[in-house]
This record gives sequence, structure tokens and C-alpha cells, in this order.
Amino acid sequence: MRFCVIIGFLLAATRVFADVSVVASVDRNRISFGESVTLTVAVQGAHNGDPSIPKVDGLTFNGPSTSTSFSFVNGQTSQSISYTYQVTPERTGEFIIPAIGVDVAGKSYLTVPIKLVVEKGGSQGELGQALFGRVSLSSQQVYIGQTAPLDVYVYSRADVPLHGFGGFNYQAEGLGFKNLPNLKSDTKVIDGQAFKVYVIQGAVSPTTTGVLNFGPCILKTQLAVQNRGRAWPGDSLLEEMMGRTQVREVPITIDALPITVLPLPEEGRPSDFSGAVGQWNLEVTAKPAEVAVGDPITFTIKISGNGNIDTVPTPKLGALDEFKTYDPTTKTTKDDLNTTGERVIQQVLIARSPEVKQLPNVRLVYFDPVAKAYKTAVQAPIKLVVKAGSGSQSTIVSGGYRLRPEEKLGQDIVYLKGDLGPVAPATPFCATPTFWVLNTMPVLALLGGMGWKRRSDRFRGDVAYARRMRAAKDARKLLVAATNYDEVQHALQNYLGDRLNIPAAGITASIAEEQLLPRGVNSELAADLKACFETCDTARFAGGSADTGLAATRENVERLIDELEKTHL
Amino acid sequence: MNLRKHIYKVVVLVWLLGLSVAIAAPSDDLKAANQLYDAGKFAEATVAYERIESKTAHVYYNLGNAWFRQNKLGLAILNYAQARRLAPRDPDILANLKFAQQRLGVDDVNTPPHALQRFLRSAIESCTASEWSAGELVGIWLLALAIGACVYLPKARTALLVIAVAGFFVFGFSGFALSNLVISNHSSPEAIVVAGETEARFAPLSDSTVHFRLAEGTQVAIREDRGQWLFVGRADGQQGWVKAEAIGRITNF
Repeated sequence: MRFCVIIGFLLAATRVFADVSVVASVDRNRISFGESVTLTVAVQGAHNGDPSIPKVDGLTFNGPSTSTSFSFVNGQTSQSISYTYQVTPERTGEFIIPAIGVDVAGKSYLTVPIKLVVEKGGSQGELGQALFGRVSLSSQQVYIGQTAPLDVYVYSRADVPLHGFGGFNYQAEGLGFKNLPNLKSDTKVIDGQAFKVYVIQGAVSPTTTGVLNFGPCILKTQLAVQNRGRAWPGDSLLEEMMGRTQVREVPITIDALPITVLPLPEEGRPSDFSGAVGQWNLEVTAKPAEVAVGDPITFTIKISGNGNIDTVPTPKLGALDEFKTYDPTTKTTKDDLNTTGERVIQQVLIARSPEVKQLPNVRLVYFDPVAKAYKTAVQAPIKLVVKAGSGSQSTIVSGGYRLRPEEKLGQDIVYLKGDLGPVAPATPFCATPTFWVLNTMPVLALLGGMGWKRRSDRFRGDVAYARRMRAAKDARKLLVAATNYDEVQHALQNYLGDRLNIPAAGITASIAEEQLLPRGVNSELAADLKACFETCDTARFAGGSADTGLAATRENVERLIDELEKTHL
Repeated sequence: MNLRKHIYKVVVLVWLLGLSVAIAAPSDDLKAANQLYDAGKFAEATVAYERIESKTAHVYYNLGNAWFRQNKLGLAILNYAQARRLAPRDPDILANLKFAQQRLGVDDVNTPPHALQRFLRSAIESCTASEWSAGELVGIWLLALAIGACVYLPKARTALLVIAVAGFFVFGFSGFALSNLVISNHSSPEAIVVAGETEARFAPLSDSTVHFRLAEGTQVAIREDRGQWLFVGRADGQQGWVKAEAIGRITNF
């Protein structure tokens, strides 16, 4: 029975494949700019497909999300799969979504082309009421060289689901605009409605004169929209998390702001004007105000204020003939937009004579764009008291060697050396063999010490090793002291016992042979050893027949020990 | 006790051998040159200093002074720099070198831009190569002896490890400084611009484009030597080709 059901099901499915159809549709054919449409490609009669979405200039396709369905009613089966795309226009106009090819089970199907009209107004206007921007400049007339703050404000009504900003494009040719990367935000009530206000802080520094436009600007806002494409104020975070909404970029256009850039007026321009534009303060200090001739005076000029500090030159000083001067040091600090700044110039001056009564005056000429006039900041001369120097003819004794003029550190070079001083070697120490020997010694000593320690430890912990190491030495000592055959045999037994790590007392000729032959000792040597044992035994127990000479036997044992030492047991 | 005395003697001997420095008696040649200087005959004094065969730090220093008095500040700086190589902590040499650099406005140019580079350079230049060699030896001996003693004196292990770590750092930094001196001396020896303002070009050709200008007294490192042209680098990293005659090499090591 079950088999029949499966067969029937498969037959039905085969029949279904035979009736595949593919349909593409959009939820609306006419939308306003800023909205998006849902494009659905439905494949009836199959559970999978592979739509190839064509590229359309001006349209962005996001997706797909898929949904499948399957039904089995009265023995009839049906299945389908839908591919859903969000289509977002990038401009207004008429678009044709061409036929979409869908590959189902190796066979291609085509949908019917779809027309889509994107127009202004409608919802865009509605959105435009809730989300818009404007450009703000303190004065629409600026002077060349002036740095004027220019802010771009973006107003977002409280119910607009604004998530953030995706980019800011602007046209500002000749205006030298730059802005801070981070936005400032605030809230404001307009016509009884709460708005969140975002400010892009910037500044213009015009480089050419005439009427220049800042903008139009396009700011890409990121809105949370429902999948059907429309921004819905009040969408909750939960809905977004559940996938009902998605973040979409919606560009808003901010109209251009004409800015008149004026040249700096010729009228009233001082001859020593050097291009400084802004509102500048000048402060001058000198320390110390009471010095001796030859003592340095630090003369500090501080210029600070609003404007581009880079346009401010080093102020001109009055007569400097009475002073010895050194090159000034300059430190400039400014804000990121270059709308305010400070420059500190420090110059060391040395009065040449006690007649000097004041420091030179300082003069800075600049154009004030607010007052629309040239101004001159002049610092009155600072009074100075200069005393006669302490004298430069005195002498001091150097190391008892010779008299020399007084050294004035910082104002002249130090005097000569009177002796040759230490003589450096012709070859640097690091290039001598001594250096390398001394470098190698500790390493070798360390390695040697560690090796010695290891050997000592093994001697203490490994009895077999210790016996083996001292076997020959001990045996030779016994042999030297031996006065009879018994002692010679004892020396041989001791040697074999230590070498083989077995008790020495019980070693006989046969035991020695049994132990040595399996350890690789050649049979000739083993036979010699056995003969030696027998000679000793004969001499010890039989008397006369073994009286061939103790010395010869001892030499024979020594030879055997030497031979065995060469053998790895 | 006797063994300790012997060890002490050997250490002192090795130290003295390492330094390889002898104290010389005042030279008549130096006295004569100094007298010429005192008489205001700076050009003659310069020749006299140049003739002294055994050039010590003091001779270079006096020679620098003689050039300074002739307003040849580039050559003065070169000789002060030579003197500093031999006696890096001599206050007179350092003062005159600084003063001459300030007079030419090159003290900033000769200073590396980064704080770490400045620190390393001043640390490395605070000792001669021989002094760093001795330091390296002291470090390696301390390290080896402390590690060796750790094996035989396990009870004093903590103190010995501290000594070993100290020895390691002495050995490490001295070795680093020494290798830096040796490598820089061989691969990119230092030199001073002794001519007036010198043009550094993009290529070793007289008609090639000028890349930047080197003020007199600027310290440079010679990266490549092509006879009449040298490829040099300034402390701020700028590199260019200059004529060899405009450069004086710091020869002492």
C-alpha cells in the first residue's frame, strides 16, 4: 500500500514538473523617488530555480529572500517557490525591468518585462517635510584668504527612523571647503514638531574671487524601511530584528548656497601688508628685562585669533642693529578647520652695549574681514636695562698646564686641549682576537662545567657506569701491586666484574667466557682470557707446572685488559 | 684566598687589555700647534694639527677649533665629530660640536625625528666601540658564571638568576650597540657636509634634478660610493646623490 502511495506521489510530481511557469511582478508600478518596490519572481510547479536578475541603470536590486509552498489536495500536488527582491531607484524616470531568465531543472524560462515609473512629489514631499538639510554661513560675503565657518544642518523629524549617514558629496569649487569627520547633534522644535539636528561643521577658505556656489550637496541618509519599501515612522526595533524592516540609503539633496568672494580692498592697504587675513591679537614679552652685555634675552611674539594662521607672516621687528640676533624658532598651533590659530615666535637677542635701552617694536598688519578694513597691531617697545658685561679678558688655569682665556659656554667655542689625551688603539678592541677568545671562553667554560656536572651526577647515580669507568684503572693498580698469581687473578676478576657489572669474586674462566662471547668479544680473545685464568689456577693449585713466570702472566693480563678496553661490551 | 687574588688580577688585566688605551705624554707637536693657534695663525695651526700622526680626540678637537676660527664650520664639525667618536663623553667636545651645529642651524637636521631613534642614538654614541666591547664581555661573563654557579649552588639560585638576567641585559644591549656601530660603520659610514650648501640630486649626474639641499655641517650616512659621487641619507630619511668633494667622512671607529 505504502509503495503504491509513493509511486503515485512520484508520478504526480513528474506531472507537476511538466507544468512549470515563471511570473515576475512588482507590488506597484508607480512610486515616488525615495521609495522602493518589491519584485517577486514566482516559479510555479518547481521547488527550486535560478533567476538571473539583469542590471538596470538607475535601479538597485537587493535580495533575494525566498519562500516555498507545497500542497497535496485530493491527490493533486502543487509546489512553488518565490524569490523576492527590493528594488530601489537611484533617480526619477521610467525604467524597464527586462525579462528575467529563470533556470529550472536545466530548462530556461523568461518572465515578461515590467515597467516602473519613479516620480518626484508625493511621498518624497512628505519625506522632505520630515528630513531636510540646509547650509549655513555667517556671512554670504567672504574675502579671499579669509577662513569662514560653514555648517551643514540636517533636520530629522523625531518620527523619522534615521539610522545614520552614508556619505556626503558636495560641490565647492574655488571655496576650499573642509569639514570635521564627526557630526554634532542637537534637538530643536520647529513649528511645534521636535527635530533632531545634525551639524556637519566645516569652513571655507576661498582661493578665487567671484560668486561661487557651495552645493548642491547630496547627503545619503540611512532609513529603516519596511520590506514593502516605504519608510514607516514608528517602526520598532523589534520589528527590525524580526526582519520586517531593513536599513536603506535615501539621498537628500541640499540646495546650493551662493557665496560672494571679494578681493581684498586696494583702498587703505598698508605698504607692508603681507596677506594676513583675520582678527589677530599681538602679545610681546621679553625675559629677562635686566641683563648684562652679552647675556641672551628671549624675545617672544605671540599672535593668536580667528582666521587662517598660515596667512600670518612673522612680524617685522624694528631696528636690530644694537643686537646680535639668532634665527627665530616658530611654533604654530591651529584648530582642525584652520579657523583659529596661534603662532609663537621666539628669538634670542643679545645686546651689544650698555647703551641699549629698549627692545625693538613689533608690527603686524592684517585685514579684518569683520571690520572690512586693514588694521595694524603695534607693540610698544619694551624697556630694557643693560649693564656692562663682567669682562672677557680674565684668565683661568687649566690643569696647571697653561693659562687660557675664559670660556663662555654657549657663546663661543671652548678653548684648546693642552695634552694629547688617551690614545685610542689602531684596531678597535672588538676586532682583536683577544676579544673573540674572551667571548668564547665563558661559553666553553659553561658547556664544560655542565658536562662535568652531568658526568658527576651519573657517577653518583649509575653504579654500572661508575664501575665500568674505573675498571681498567683499578685493575692496573692491583696488577702493579700483585706479588703472586692469586693477586693477578684477583685483578683480572675485579676488572671483569667492574666491566660487566657482576660480582667479581665468583668469576671463573668459564663464567668469563659465557659473559663475554654474547657481548661481541671475539673467540680468540676469550680463549686467551680462559688460558690466563687456567695459568693462574695451575700456578695457585698445582705449583711447579705453572712456574713460567709471574711477570709474563701479569703482562698478559695487562694486554687482555687493553684489548677488552677497546671492545664495546 | 690566593685563588681569588689571582682571579682579581686576571680580571683587571683583561679589562686593561680590553680597553687598550694608553695615556700619552703631552706632545711637543701639539704644544707648537697650540702656540700657533694662540698667536691667531689658525691656518698654520691647522696644518700643524694635521701633521700630528697620532690623532687623539684632543688633536681632532683642537683641529676643529682651528677650522672654526677660520669660519670653516663644516670642517670644524667634522673634526669635532671625529673627536666625539674617540671621547664620546668629553664635555668640551660635545659643547663645541653643539655650538658649531647651532651656528650653522643644523642641530635639528642632524637629530633623528623620532624619540626612540634619538634615545638609541644618544645611548649608542655615549660609549666607544671598545667600551661597548668591554661591556659585552662583562655581560657574557656574568651571564655564564651566574648560570654555571646556579648548577653548583642551588641554594643561591634566586640571587644568581638576578645576576644572570642583569648579565643578559648588559650583554644584549652592549652587543646591540656594538653591532650597530660596526654595521653602520661598514654599511653606511657617517660623514659631514664640509662644503657650503650642497645640492643632493636624484641621480649621480651634474645635470640631474636637485632633490634637496644639504646645509654645511649636516650629518649624513653614505649609502653608496661611486667615486666622485656619493649616495647619502640625512637623519630625516631624505636621500640623494652629492659630489664626494663636498663630504668629509668620519673615519674613526
